[in-house]
Amino acid sequence: MQSPPDRDPAQVYLASVGTALPGDPVDNATLAKVLKVNEEWIDHFIGTRTRHFARDLGTGTVRWSLADLCAQAGARALAASGVDPAEIGFVVLGTATPDNLMPATVNHIADQLGLDQVPTYQLQSGCAGAVQALGLGRTLIAGDGHRAGLVIGGDVCSKHLDLNRDLADAAPSDLVNYVLFGDGAGAAVLTAEPAAEAVALRRVLNRFTGLGREPGQVIDWFGLADRYEDRQAVREDYKAIEEFVPVMAVEILWEMLGDLDWSAEELDYLLPPQLSGRMTRRIHEELDVPGAIEVSCVADTGNNGNALPFLQLERLLGQMSSGQKALAVAVESSKWIKAGFALEKI
Amino acid sequence: MQPVAIVGIDCRFPGAPDPAAYWDLLMRSGDGVGPVPEQRWNADDFYSAAGADGHSNTTSGGFITDADAFDHEFFAISPREAAAMDPQQRLLLQCAWRAVEDTGVAPRSLAGTATGVFVGVMGNEWAHLHLTDYARVTAQVGSGNGYCMTANRISYHLDLKGPSLAVDTACSSSLVAVHLACNALLAGECDTAIAAGVNVALTPALGIFYTQAGLSAPDGRCKPFSSDANGIGRGEGVGAVVLRRLEDAIADGQPVYAVIRGTAVNQDGRSNGLTAPNRWSQQEVLTAAYRRAGVEPSDVAFTEGHGTGTVLGDMIEVKALGGLHADRTGKPMALGSVKGNLGHTEGAAGVAGLIKVALSLHHRVVPTSRFAARENPALKLSRYGLRLLKAPLRLAAGATVGGLSSFGMGGTNAHAVLESAPAHAARPKAGAAAGSTGIGTAVFTLTAPTAQALRRNLVAQADALQRHRVVPAGAVGWSSNRLKTGHRFRFAVPADSTGDLVTALRRAAGDEDQPAGLTAESAGPVRPALLFTGQGSQYPGMAAGLYRDAPLFRRFLDRADEALLPHTGGSVRELLLSADPAVHRTGWAQPALFAVGYALAATLTELGVRPALLLGHSVGEYAAAVVAEALPLEEAARLIAARGRLMQELPEGGGMLAVRADATELAERVDAEPLVGIAAVNGPASTVLSGDLTALARIEEELTRAGVRSRRLEVSHAFHSPLMDPMLERFAAVAEQAGGTVPALPVHSTLRGRLLRDEPMDAAYWVEHVRAPVLFADAARQLLDEAPTHLLEIGPRPVLAPMTRRLLTAPDGAGVRSVHPVPGEQAGGRELAEAVAELFRGGVDIAWDAVYADQDRVAHRLAPYAFSDDHRFWARRPVSAAPPATAPQQEGVQTAGQRPEAARPVVLSQGRRTAADPVAEAVLDAVAQVGSYAPGAITPRSRLYEDLGFDSVMVMELKKRIEERLPDLEPLSVEELLPRLSSIGDLIGYVGERRSAAA
Repeated sequence: MQSPPDRDPAQVYLASVGTALPGDPVDNATLAKVLKVNEEWIDHFIGTRTRHFARDLGTGTVRWSLADLCAQAGARALAASGVDPAEIGFVVLGTATPDNLMPATVNHIADQLGLDQVPTYQLQSGCAGAVQALGLGRTLIAGDGHRAGLVIGGDVCSKHLDLNRDLADAAPSDLVNYVLFGDGAGAAVLTAEPAAEAVALRRVLNRFTGLGREPGQVIDWFGLADRYEDRQAVREDYKAIEEFVPVMAVEILWEMLGDLDWSAEELDYLLPPQLSGRMTRRIHEELDVPGAIEVSCVADTGNNGNALPFLQLERLLGQMSSGQKALAVAVESSKWIKAGFALEKI
Repeated sequence: MQPVAIVGIDCRFPGAPDPAAYWDLLMRSGDGVGPVPEQRWNADDFYSAAGADGHSNTTSGGFITDADAFDHEFFAISPREAAAMDPQQRLLLQCAWRAVEDTGVAPRSLAGTATGVFVGVMGNEWAHLHLTDYARVTAQVGSGNGYCMTANRISYHLDLKGPSLAVDTACSSSLVAVHLACNALLAGECDTAIAAGVNVALTPALGIFYTQAGLSAPDGRCKPFSSDANGIGRGEGVGAVVLRRLEDAIADGQPVYAVIRGTAVNQDGRSNGLTAPNRWSQQEVLTAAYRRAGVEPSDVAFTEGHGTGTVLGDMIEVKALGGLHADRTGKPMALGSVKGNLGHTEGAAGVAGLIKVALSLHHRVVPTSRFAARENPALKLSRYGLRLLKAPLRLAAGATVGGLSSFGMGGTNAHAVLESAPAHAARPKAGAAAGSTGIGTAVFTLTAPTAQALRRNLVAQADALQRHRVVPAGAVGWSSNRLKTGHRFRFAVPADSTGDLVTALRRAAGDEDQPAGLTAESAGPVRPALLFTGQGSQYPGMAAGLYRDAPLFRRFLDRADEALLPHTGGSVRELLLSADPAVHRTGWAQPALFAVGYALAATLTELGVRPALLLGHSVGEYAAAVVAEALPLEEAARLIAARGRLMQELPEGGGMLAVRADATELAERVDAEPLVGIAAVNGPASTVLSGDLTALARIEEELTRAGVRSRRLEVSHAFHSPLMDPMLERFAAVAEQAGGTVPALPVHSTLRGRLLRDEPMDAAYWVEHVRAPVLFADAARQLLDEAPTHLLEIGPRPVLAPMTRRLLTAPDGAGVRSVHPVPGEQAGGRELAEAVAELFRGGVDIAWDAVYADQDRVAHRLAPYAFSDDHRFWARRPVSAAPPATAPQQEGVQTAGQRPEAARPVVLSQGRRTAADPVAEAVLDAVAQVGSYAPGAITPRSRLYEDLGFDSVMVMELKKRIEERLPDLEPLSVEELLPRLSSIGDLIGYVGERRSAAA
């Protein structure tokens, strides 16, 4: 395996985090009723208690776009950072579910936030997108000389929540897509100098490891020519995911600790991958860092993709004190992407 | 020089009806130039490509839209006066109003203050058209004309008492006005200043002059600093900025667009011809402005040049700038001019440039200068340390300095140095830490003089907020509460998020019924009655939602809990929050209801409700007594806790029976049962009996036989019955210690069944209160006689307001509003916000700061007032190449050429006039004639001054017209007439009296 670049870029800091979850939480009883599935099955096999949807479960109308949620999260992060919006040098969005293929959703977000004449980037990715966005943001500050930037992750999975489908006889592998996911967004302000929360972003890992491997997860899109083809919009190979994600997570942990020259004992917080309430519990056990406090959110928020690391960060910042270290691990099972980041509060 | 903050902006320029559109036009390098509108003059009549005598070489220019539209009703100006006003006055008035609103200050709140008004204006074309038609020079035409009136009219209509003056230094007028405004602020002559500029082209005269002087661009476009530059194109515009000393703006939490660091004005003196620009004087004014601002030339990142696009003018301007910037280090200074987009807006040119620079510093990007891509190489810009803005210049973070030049044709030069607003200039002072505020949900409010205006403004707000959905609803609500005040129609709606608010506003504006539901027309003063609910209304978890959502309510419930704690042996607050069913036990129910009642009343008082009348049903009287200052909170808490405890300790076995019968009908049966009493008289057929269960059962059986309906109440004890006797002595002992005085507010006692008059609510009162019947119906009826405007339910669910309403006799019922701050078990902050909205609509002056938590009280710039463009006025005499027309002209409202469909008769009120009376007929017609109102537009309800905009000159004419119409009338005396002019109805009455006296 190729080693990461030796030279560590200049220090970059996380000033604040803001998040946005659409509407009220939807509990399993409600979801079970709407989808006509078994509530106990969700409780037991998925382990997620609540999630939020941008689409109204009763009427099916879309109440928030991805841009709406991301802009809300971005506005909250900006307000919390105390950074003058004029200093925001760039906007990066990581998402798997953009509102349109064009214009890129990041530009609608900038528009809603009143940011103009700034570089924008949108990274098309699953759960690793948020980490990639943090990585790119870090590079833009350390390498391009920006003083501050806004990094966002978010997904609106309810686009695939087909309320008209009869799920009475659906197989568990099909059913899981309906109960696993949720919608949401998160954002962070990165700065060149410590500000507000003043947490140093020590390292970001982003690595494709899927050469020759079948994807563990596929989200398709349809155009005018193929819109009626009988293909599933969302497909997951749950067996492969259950088998490989825990293994990859452990590798990510140890690789990052090694690169940082940190021992597992030094770690105060661990942010494990957020698949579902049940899977996250299992992975956390396998990561086996008993000294670190687990920071998870998926059981309450549902799997809302690129919002997850920010939702975890928000919970982390609430308890992190000066000198403490945290490490986040993320795995994108689509084409087997390893991701993670390390933080230390100044 | 001390810095001056630009806190408010409004403008209308060619292709841009407001500041947002202006910025958009600049950022997309848009073109505001077009053909001369037909309404102005027939351009072909005056066109000659060769520039023949008396002709112009162009048929184009930068013209604003809707120059003829004016919302005369809003300013209570009669159509006649509006028609006799220079359109520059009309445009300025609306523009100034909107600019003040943009600062986050309600324009009416400036009334009476020493606010200054400084207007730059050089066009006087309206006078050329109207004051030369001597036969038609009326009083209105006189005040409709004149530079002074442009500024003075703003001061008059906004009631501003600071310096008020118009400035004419030709093309530099409005920047000189800004200079004078800054100086007036810094000299302490005023604390707020409106600086404005205006230019409307009514005649082709200046275009002909430019052509004859060889200064007119054939395409009607200024092309500043371009190799294509070939002269001036005329432009129109109106713009206003509101200025404050920076320290004042920051202290008041006003958002700042940009800061004026220094200004300077000088003159060419005896230069190379009166109208020739002078390089050295220009350089001198730049130097003076830099010195005054304390900046070096190299600090200046960009300059908005005068840039008229004449070859000579551009050359001299570049040389003057070069004299200071040629040896600057670092990047050359960026140069551009908005005249490429608008043309030369003459009297408004300075303010057009100022707004462009302020918005550039605000948005941190300087727009491209139109036509800069083809730079004039002869200007040798790079040699002078200059470069043209061929692309937008993004400004680096931190302080940025920009310059602005405006030069007058007669040689008066002005320059201003601006700087970006200091970071977080807009952070308001932390509010006085008087305690927690906020009810958890924002309330958006809007007021307007008419229902139609309200609807128009709801749409305007929805459109503007649509683009600001990320702004927290608190900031939007709080700003609307402060800004959108003072008009007759009051709209209010709670908002959890700005996105939801946009939906609500659109629904309200679009639906015929909705605005009515969310809007009310303010009537007279309010008299809120607070009705404190008694026992039986309690339920587990009551008011817990409100406690969760509303810090303000939390503050007062905590206070009540603290007062009760020494006497209850447990926390009432915890009982409520844990939804403990024990709240139904008397020992808890009474203190819990007291705590909720007290906290709700204190919350509403803090929100601005001034209780006019108080009533409490039985136990409810304890919280009422605290509000009335008859008992201190602590003593009331001690009493109510003891009352509940002692009653709880009585043996169970008593009961209560609600009977659908009059108390008098039951008296005989009650008298026959020594252990039963009348507990409450709630209404004509609503009586509650209380006492021993077996005795009650007997009565119940008899009533059923007699066909009278009755119902057992679920109570543990027989309150207000003889069964209470055993506790009286012990309760009296506690009550003796508690004291109690005469209430300071009117209390309609349910013990006495009437208003308490100099009677203390003391130990004797409270002891009697335990045992005696609750005379609710009598007390409530008497309370209704006091004409309350609102019945506020001070309890955990609606009980007393509906009961009181049932006692209303039909005719007075309509005006009384019921308000339920806690309408049900799930109620929280949202429901309290609904109640606050309802109170505001009903005329209560809400203390808005209490509605929001500290961090939500942040200013957000709302869209300013959207004026009506239904009424249009234009010059009376059409401009033509022929000698002045002598054809008869129609006076008053004229139809706009380009928008004939918009013209309609001026109708002030839909009310029907009474046509049968000849006096009324004559008066109404005379008023319509003098004010140029459409026939039938005026009703007896119209107010002569406030609604119809009459002045003393018009009154004199009105007297004459009435006398003409009623020849049998003796001449009217002015002394007698003046006091009878409050409304047209009053006037009709007076004239009628005079006429019958004469008969």
